Amino acid sequence: MATEKSAGPILLELDEATWDAQIDRAASWLGDTLQVQEKFRKFAEDTASEMREPHIKKYLQDIIERARAHEELVRGLIRTIGREPSGGRSLAGAVLAKGGELIADVVGLVGGARGNWKDLRQLLIESQDALGAFAIVEQLGYALGLPELADPAFRAVAEKTKDHLLIQEFVLEMGPVAILMHQHA
Amino acid sequence: MPMTATRASRDALRRLPTSARPAVDPAGVVVPEGYEVEPVLVGLSFPCGMGFADDGSLFLLEGGSTWPTRPYMPARILRLDTASGEVDEIGVEVLGGPRGVAARDGAIYVTVKGGYHAHLDRYDLKTKERTVLVDGLPSGGWHEPSDPVFGPDGLIYFGNGSVSQNGVCLPQGFTVDLAKHPEACDVPGQDVTLTGNNVWSRDPTMPFPFLAETGPFKPFGTPAKKGEVIRGQVKCSSGLWRCHPDGSGLELLAWGLRNPYGLAFDEAGELYASDNDFEEKGERAIADDPDRIWHVKNATAPHGSVATPSWYGFPDLCGDGLPAWHESHRPRKGKAAEPLLEDPPPWAGPAAYLEKPHSCMTHMEFCRSDAFGHHGELFLAQFGTYAPLNTPDPAALDRGFRVLRINMQTGVGEPFLRNREPGPASAHPGSAGLERPVDCKFHPDGRSLYVLDFGVTAVAPTHVVAYARTGVVWRVTRI
Repeated sequence: MATEKSAGPILLELDEATWDAQIDRAASWLGDTLQVQEKFRKFAEDTASEMREPHIKKYLQDIIERARAHEELVRGLIRTIGREPSGGRSLAGAVLAKGGELIADVVGLVGGARGNWKDLRQLLIESQDALGAFAIVEQLGYALGLPELADPAFRAVAEKTKDHLLIQEFVLEMGPVAILMHQHA
Repeated sequence: MPMTATRASRDALRRLPTSARPAVDPAGVVVPEGYEVEPVLVGLSFPCGMGFADDGSLFLLEGGSTWPTRPYMPARILRLDTASGEVDEIGVEVLGGPRGVAARDGAIYVTVKGGYHAHLDRYDLKTKERTVLVDGLPSGGWHEPSDPVFGPDGLIYFGNGSVSQNGVCLPQGFTVDLAKHPEACDVPGQDVTLTGNNVWSRDPTMPFPFLAETGPFKPFGTPAKKGEVIRGQVKCSSGLWRCHPDGSGLELLAWGLRNPYGLAFDEAGELYASDNDFEEKGERAIADDPDRIWHVKNATAPHGSVATPSWYGFPDLCGDGLPAWHESHRPRKGKAAEPLLEDPPPWAGPAAYLEKPHSCMTHMEFCRSDAFGHHGELFLAQFGTYAPLNTPDPAALDRGFRVLRINMQTGVGEPFLRNREPGPASAHPGSAGLERPVDCKFHPDGRSLYVLDFGVTAVAPTHVVAYARTGVVWRVTRI
């Protein structure tokens, strides 16, 4: 038994090949995040344009502004870890948003709701999806020892959490009149 | 993904890919004259404890879900052959993860935080088979099981901290207890009668944050009644036990130890436990409670003879023996404490050693080597403060972040290993020294002290985060 001293320190899973593979996987998740965020933003735009209640319309427009900034943030985070955002994701986000609107129509009709409330309800689901994606980005930042990934994601998660609560409040407030009276929000 | 451990040059440690800890460099670390310090292994994720076998194998515990609980990284038990530098995996533990380890007779004994229950496990080093020896220790809250240590009697000794931070389960432990373990609560080690003082707080688990009323030894949202008796259990929280190496003969020696993370026997066979202060935040906030080392005197009593466990003060007394509601412990932040126990047991203090609050005393070991020097003194890792999160006291901002050596006979301690500037290296741009020492253990060759560094934790007034892959094993050698 002796204490080994000459061969230098040991790196645990910090060699270049292992690290690159981890960064590739993180970049892939960031691509997913960009896609769901684009889907959320596009859905929010379509929902806001249909909204009649002026306060809700204004709040959604504010959320859209933040959503655009968060979208840009993800593109920046992908570059921060040395990868490039994929252009194809953007188109996919818009297409998925349209798909979400169809789902909202079907679910709304089956549930008895009429009008634009069903879009607001679907927006809540899209918001949860995008919020969760950002929260995972934050955790990836901690898992990789990268504050430049974790810190901006933390701030985005905080903003998106507040936006999500706001959307939830309007879904809950307007739900009964949409379902019982078939009124628009 | 298979584990990779590769040799690197010292120079490579100055350009690590982890920007939270971009470099590891002993130049930022101060040791006494006649000693040198060097990094041995870099890249551990949330390491919480370590222990040597007699052949020089060093068992390293990656904590899994730690402080804070997110993100989980694999709760691996690794073995570093300190002669060859080879690293292999002994096992992967369950959530929350392993916290302390001791090796003996071809096996390692590992304390594990668990979910609702902490446990003591045994791994056969030949087969890597895992056996749970002791289970059912109340957990699912804030604190941790301790190091397991073997006593001179051949029994294994281990502790387990309190479930609540400050005596009542409250929202500050949200990700640990309220979200994952809403039924978790403290359990006393002997019968206690409650005052009926409850604590009001917001309930973050409800659709609206309505108020909730919670009592001691109760899950969050459950109040206590005046005069209510809570029955003591052998498997309590804040306890310290011993048993045979097969898990039989479990005996409770002590309770009321808030966070007994480090245990160590001196050469005379006396047992000591490190313990940490109440936090100065939240709805039962307590200021200026000193960190401490307790002398667990009844560890020398014959096995099976301890009819009544010693009580060390949790949840009502501070480390100095004063009540948590004493004027000297009034909080600057949060709501002041009220008495919880109507009939507190006799206090087993005073402490053998008191330290400034929020130094965060972790694992420790007595030096048994003339070759290393300071024979008979206690070496103790100090993780470092969570200020400004857990206290607004600016004096606490750079406490800890070092290894202390303490003469338990004289009660005098002094830094043995520290950064050139107080606080963690990450608080000082350009420094690449220590972050958060969480363990220190002597190599069986008697010449080196190994120091386990948890890695980078960033603390804000509102929250705390930790970065994986930033843990380091350091070695201090007498030259």
